[in-house]
Amino acid sequence: MSSLSRRAFLQAGGVAAAEAAGAVLVPDAAAETPAQTLADQAAAQRAMLYDSTLCVGCRACEVACNEDNQLGRTTEEIFQGRPAEDVRALAPDVFTYVTFHQLEADPSSAAFGKVQCMHCIEPACISSCPVAALHKTAEGPVVWDGTRCLGCRYCMMACPFLVPRFEWDSRNPRIRKCDMCYDLQAKGEQPACVAACPTGALKSGTRAELLEEARRRIAEKPRGYVHHVYGELEAGGTNFLHVAARPFDQLGYRRNLPTRSYREYTRPAMSTIPYVIGGLGLVLGTVRWVTDRRDQVARATDEEDR
Amino acid sequence: MKITRGLAAVIVLAVLGLGLIAFRFAAGLGAATNLSDGYPWGFWIGMDILAGIALAAGGFVIAGIVHLFGGHRFHPLARPAILTALLGYLLFIFALMVDLGRPWNIWWALISWNHYSPMFEVAWCVMFYTGVLILEFTPAVLERLRWERMHRLWAQAVPFFILGLLSLFTYAMTDSPRWTVAVLAILALWEALMRTGVMRRDRQMPVLLIIAGVIFSTLHQSSLGTLFLITDKLGPLWYTPILPALFFLSAVMVGPAMVIVEGLSSARVLGRNPELDLLRPLGQAMPYLLALYLLVRLGDLILRGVVLETMRPSFATGWWWIEILLVLTALAIFATPELTRRRRGLGLGAWAAVVAVVVHRCGVAMVGIDVPEYARYVPAWSEVLITAGVIALGVLGFRLAVEFLPIYEQPAAASPARVPSRPAAAAVHA
Repeated sequence: MSSLSRRAFLQAGGVAAAEAAGAVLVPDAAAETPAQTLADQAAAQRAMLYDSTLCVGCRACEVACNEDNQLGRTTEEIFQGRPAEDVRALAPDVFTYVTFHQLEADPSSAAFGKVQCMHCIEPACISSCPVAALHKTAEGPVVWDGTRCLGCRYCMMACPFLVPRFEWDSRNPRIRKCDMCYDLQAKGEQPACVAACPTGALKSGTRAELLEEARRRIAEKPRGYVHHVYGELEAGGTNFLHVAARPFDQLGYRRNLPTRSYREYTRPAMSTIPYVIGGLGLVLGTVRWVTDRRDQVARATDEEDR
Repeated sequence: MKITRGLAAVIVLAVLGLGLIAFRFAAGLGAATNLSDGYPWGFWIGMDILAGIALAAGGFVIAGIVHLFGGHRFHPLARPAILTALLGYLLFIFALMVDLGRPWNIWWALISWNHYSPMFEVAWCVMFYTGVLILEFTPAVLERLRWERMHRLWAQAVPFFILGLLSLFTYAMTDSPRWTVAVLAILALWEALMRTGVMRRDRQMPVLLIIAGVIFSTLHQSSLGTLFLITDKLGPLWYTPILPALFFLSAVMVGPAMVIVEGLSSARVLGRNPELDLLRPLGQAMPYLLALYLLVRLGDLILRGVVLETMRPSFATGWWWIEILLVLTALAIFATPELTRRRRGLGLGAWAAVVAVVVHRCGVAMVGIDVPEYARYVPAWSEVLITAGVIALGVLGFRLAVEFLPIYEQPAAASPARVPSRPAAAAVHA
């Protein structure tokens, strides 16, 4: 089994929880969380690294994911279910898949990509969920709690990676997505897809060590990679990192994503709420007092005139 | 109540809608809608929720004008407006239950707090403002039943209830005891001033109740805009950081317009004379509100440097132009006294403003949303019919309330001559 121990997993959680507690003691709802703070916050969390240059597209990860999460698809369905370049084939019973991309003019340009939940450091889905049914565990994975979910689908509107899926034909629909095999990791094991990968294209570890690893791979083979770790800064940073030999938009990844966390887009509006309540409370009461006093004075003057 | 042909049509629509709602719950959202993983929100969010809530804005605008800003003469309009708002909110909650995938979990919003989520704010505003509207509407029911002791009890208890409600709300939104205490102190100050007689009470409505209504409405209207700030799927003609302010502004704008529309059409249906001597002065505010909205809407596009997007030929751009042309039409009508003097002109201007806001809300929730990876969303006929059914239920509810409760101060077919409204209203509450 892996080098990752159950203790390390819980330790990562402990560190993050202590940091969260620190954040509660020093509340500052109005301040933006800088990228470095987010990176520090996630440094000890569980993360994954996907190296497109090592991926041979065998889809063992998909089979393992399907099996471990009991998604109920047959191997045939996995291998024949969709066009290889389709970047939107996540489904309630598909938590991850490998895509294939080739420039028409250049057969040697063939490359793979991996689509799944990015486990953002400060995820849009978690900022948006009204009942905290989705939540970022202290250990890193973003998980969903079905007992609370209202099925409002705001997470789907918010997610910049178009990841959460909804069971449209169910009477009791769930939000479905990868949870980085939270249960397995809590037992000290690797995520199913990482354990199944025969070429080492997938690796799990803490975010800090994987980020370092990604940078080292690029530095060692500067011509073999685009000089960009996808997920380092995208949407404020994610716990799923990617390196590749071709620009990421050619591999079906959403590009030009902001480097701020998506929470920052609603934060200004959300942090004005108490000012609106307090301000309106003051202003409206005063207005009522003034207009009423004016009426009173006007009526008194009327009566004097009479 | 006579069953006319129009009423029969409304009943048919309501029954059809209820049948389709049953189908939606039996077969799932996928069977009844064209929603997809790329377009998880559609017609219901645009019409039932964004537009529906905007059109309920008449309630807080009129209540504020009458009870806070000294516009006592508009009092005859307050009760119908509050009733419309209350019905609107109840229908909105009903429609929301249809749209939610797991509505039976809704109570979790009360105890599982996420004060980062605009949807959490929306949920609390809906609950609390509906509570406020019920309290604002209670006097009409108590009068009808002649429960005078209950009425006095209501007047006594409401301020304390409001203090609790707004403090709890502040705490849930900010997680800050300091803010909670500050808000509690501000509101308690007014109540103390009224109890010591320094400030006069409002004889009809507890001042704190009206203040709470305006606060919750302001937050609710704007938070519906905040919802969309976190999505990167909304096109540049609609997405703007000032969306919350724009939603609030357009709600205030559509408030008087909605009261005019509703006053004129209910008068026609019920065979009453509309309160033209009140509706017209209300219309006098419209040119300013419309011009301000237009200024902010266009100024925002210019400052964000996306004004040329309005020239790119596409369905979405056409939709934007419809909104702007409707606002311009309403502005032209309300700025021409010769037109608003006639009942038809007044009604036309108000309708243009109402439809403009509906178009804007649907632009934000539907037309402006673009997820190139997925096939474009077009509402299913069943989605449209369910919304029509929900609206029909609202019309029936309004009709029944008017039939059995003292909503209008003038009885049916009374002369529209000036009735001094304040003494009449005050006498009822004496």
